[in-house]
Amino acid sequence: MKKLILYTAALGLCFSSCKKIIEVDTYNAEAQIVIEGKITDQLIDQEIVISKTVGYDEKGIYPKLSGAIVTVTDDRGSRYTFRERTPGVYVQAMRGISGNTYSLNVSVEGKTYTARSKMPNRVKLDSIGVVTNSFFGNERKTAAAYLVDPVNETNFYHFNLYVNNLFSRRVYVNNDRLTNGNKLRIQLFYESDDDNDDGLKSGDKISVEAESIDSNIFDYWYTLSQQSGRGPNQGTTPANPPSNISNNALGYFSAHTYQKLSMNVK
Amino acid sequence: MSIKHYLLIFLLLISSSTLFAQNKFTLSGTIRDASSGETLIGATIKITGATSAGTLTNNYGYFALTQPEGNYTVTISYTGFASVVKNISLIKDTKLNEELKAANDLAEVTVSANNRKNENVKSAQMGLERIDMKSLNSIPVLLGEKDVLKTIQLLPGVKSGGEGNTGFYVRGGAADQNLIILDEAVVYNSSHLLGFFSTFNADAIKDVSLYKGGMPAQYGGRLSSVLDVKMDDGNNKDFKFQGGIGLIASRLKAEGPIVKDKGSFMVSFRRTYIDLFLRASPDSSINGSTLNFYDINAKANYKINDKNTIYISGYFGKDNIGVKDLFENNWGNVTTTVRLNHIFNDRLFSNTSLIYNNYNYTVRLLNDVTNFKATSLVRDFNFKEDFQYFSNKHTLRFGLNATHHRISPIDITTTQESQVNPLTQEKRYGLESAIYVSDEWAVTEKLNLLYGLRLAAFSLLGPGNFGTYDPAGNILSSDKVESGKFYKNYLNLEPRFSLSYLFNEENSVKASYNRNTQNIHILTNATSSSPTDQYVLSSNNIKPEIADQVAVGYFRNFEENNYEFSGEVYYKWMQNQIDYRDAAELLGNSNVESELLYGTGRAYGLELFFKKKFGKLNGWVGYTLSRTERKFAELNNGNYFPARQDRTHDVSFVGIYNLNKRWTFSSSLIYSTGNAVTYPAGKYVIGGQTVYYYTQRNAGRMPYNMRLDLSATLEGRNRGRFQSSWNFGVYNALGRKNPYSVEFINDPNDPSRTVAEQTSLFGIIPSVTWNFKF
Repeated sequence: MKKLILYTAALGLCFSSCKKIIEVDTYNAEAQIVIEGKITDQLIDQEIVISKTVGYDEKGIYPKLSGAIVTVTDDRGSRYTFRERTPGVYVQAMRGISGNTYSLNVSVEGKTYTARSKMPNRVKLDSIGVVTNSFFGNERKTAAAYLVDPVNETNFYHFNLYVNNLFSRRVYVNNDRLTNGNKLRIQLFYESDDDNDDGLKSGDKISVEAESIDSNIFDYWYTLSQQSGRGPNQGTTPANPPSNISNNALGYFSAHTYQKLSMNVK
Repeated sequence: MSIKHYLLIFLLLISSSTLFAQNKFTLSGTIRDASSGETLIGATIKITGATSAGTLTNNYGYFALTQPEGNYTVTISYTGFASVVKNISLIKDTKLNEELKAANDLAEVTVSANNRKNENVKSAQMGLERIDMKSLNSIPVLLGEKDVLKTIQLLPGVKSGGEGNTGFYVRGGAADQNLIILDEAVVYNSSHLLGFFSTFNADAIKDVSLYKGGMPAQYGGRLSSVLDVKMDDGNNKDFKFQGGIGLIASRLKAEGPIVKDKGSFMVSFRRTYIDLFLRASPDSSINGSTLNFYDINAKANYKINDKNTIYISGYFGKDNIGVKDLFENNWGNVTTTVRLNHIFNDRLFSNTSLIYNNYNYTVRLLNDVTNFKATSLVRDFNFKEDFQYFSNKHTLRFGLNATHHRISPIDITTTQESQVNPLTQEKRYGLESAIYVSDEWAVTEKLNLLYGLRLAAFSLLGPGNFGTYDPAGNILSSDKVESGKFYKNYLNLEPRFSLSYLFNEENSVKASYNRNTQNIHILTNATSSSPTDQYVLSSNNIKPEIADQVAVGYFRNFEENNYEFSGEVYYKWMQNQIDYRDAAELLGNSNVESELLYGTGRAYGLELFFKKKFGKLNGWVGYTLSRTERKFAELNNGNYFPARQDRTHDVSFVGIYNLNKRWTFSSSLIYSTGNAVTYPAGKYVIGGQTVYYYTQRNAGRMPYNMRLDLSATLEGRNRGRFQSSWNFGVYNALGRKNPYSVEFINDPNDPSRTVAEQTSLFGIIPSVTWNFKF
């Protein structure tokens, strides 16, 4: 896609000016259950969030699902019962351990949803930094995560980027298929809500969250990343990311390690 | 029915016509253009006398007709040329080599309507579109670069791959299901600059035929169409030069005799110069960028003696793009064809071809830590032997074909500092071979048959490690195969059959059935094609794709052939179609076949075509009503869903108006239903971000496309040998913003709401080109 923008820009054709809001003919699907569950290796309140979808042209106020029975067990025999802290948000203070497989069980509205995720080994986020690239004469600063990929295992990474505490819309997901065992610098291009993509400025505060995830969760984020920013007709045909939760629930249940580093852009 | 049965029936049909043998002689020869000596493909030869018959010249301008002894009148005609009428007395085998004069060298009236033959009505061939290279010059196109692939998209049954794009879909087939051949060599990637231009430089092209259905048995290897492109042979009488200077590219062509009337050559070159503008920029990162492509077409032929002619032709093309210190990408095709025409006797014509072709690309990332170079190659060696036997009422074709494929999916080399690892993905080898036989039989004055069989074999060869996968895509086992061993073999019998029944000279109905199979497939899960698309061969996992098509049509000419109408309906079944799992990773993946899904497809439609062929105002109207769908157990709950290129309505108008000897105006107007795409039916939130919920695959529609293009050509004043012309064009004259992609974003006025934002590529684009020849 970037190449195409380059071509059309070079051909002197319109690109940015050729955008407009249109009406599309679609329909509003019935509400579906959405479960987003995370177990991290931090001793914190782990969160399982249960909500519902709304129709395409409805307001983005997502109904939270209360009254669910949420339990997580691990393959060592521990069992954690989650309590509802606020509507739809179920929590339990615990720490996940790498190598353990966690099973989620959610009972709500007469249905049961289950999922499993194995927490991978933690790959240390060595540092974060700022990389300066030149793109068509413009110096652009981007955030980067530095780590050393372990050579003897298959690793999957997911990152979240915050700039001045604002969450970047882009999905950052990597595997080591082509980079196994190397020192990695993973560039995280910021994408804000308002499409102002000038890169980072001096004084910006950046924070990077790094997660070592399992292969199902990689597929989940990878499918989302393939679709984002390209839309129908050009990218991969959009589809719901493959959920590891049973009974057609949307979302995912991920046991992953968690690290966070912050810095100021010089 | 077994092969034996087919052959038996075939032999019976052939022998039935020889039962009534009497003194018969053969009239044969080659038909050429008087000014250049170029052979004319598809010229009609009509012979009337004691009996009457007709035929067409073949791809080398050769024809043969066998008739009982007697006196005959022979009429030779070709569109745009004055007909030649000869009286002959056929008392022995006779040679008739004729040269036709172009009609525009003569008074217009001599091209009388009587000379125009009803070939489109009579011939049993269906689904064939021949592109007139003369009208191609006046059809308006993007940036004035006349283009065969864009012109065929204005015909019914052929859909554009996207705005300004040379990719095309024929009767519901995918983009990789078109057999695109240039002097018999396969051109794997026929696009430049991501598809805005095609690899076919119109200056170097003599003839273009597109088969949408009813493919004759000599063609095989792709499911949905054959685009047979033939290069100019070169002028064998005189040295000629022609060229053009346009906004983005310049062209130059030289041709002339090697030995007068015996051999000639043609060399044609085209290059873009967008990057020269980039280089003029004061900005160092822009002037260090590259963006260009070039094409070289070259051909030579030599008539060794009356029985043997040798042809050598080649094509070399390359695209280069790059941004300084960021990336470089280049790709291109190479084709080379060596052919020997041999005339065994007046009735038996043969052609032997040795063909080499490859497609390759290189991508380099120059970033300090993600520094690597990735290369990929598809290479074919191809041997073809084709025979044509001309009998009284039959034209027999038979032959064989063997192609050796080598695919190097990807080779990654890296620098020491690079965080990417070197990778060499295993090469794949395949052997595709076929034998075919077909017969074109004038059963009666009213009934013509064209029927044949093609037996297509494919073998996946070692060396290699071949994985087998379970339905979920997990590897079950891997076979290690030695070099030269046949690992997997497929044999497919492809019947081809068409007939025409003439009610009278101007009215006919036709019907056809054909089966096609395909053993080389493009993998791409993006909806637009890219130079880095990957090719795979049929294997233990990937079965040969199969398509069966039936079509019936009504063909009608009016007003002494001035107007031509046709209506065809078709239905096509497709097996072993390929799609992808969610989260499929296709590049550099040695288990790429684990990412594939297999399903079926169906396509059906109605095509209407009305053409005014001659006169001051000419042109055509085409309309297609169609549907194309796919079905995969793993997608869309196992229900049929529309393929992306499913567009219900497609309309095209092309009008060319010759105001006077100097001015020609032309316009084209297209309208089509938007592509089938997947729109969200709901939304939810994950990690604080809006994620869309999808239900039915490709159940939504992009907005419709509509575009008006205009062009005007001004011929320069006659200055003897030197001729020049100006071509002015306006692409998208209405300035309509046609949809390129649609993205869903939060409404800028109310972020809790979702809106669809459409991106368009092209506004109004004027162009000017200066052409010359001397």
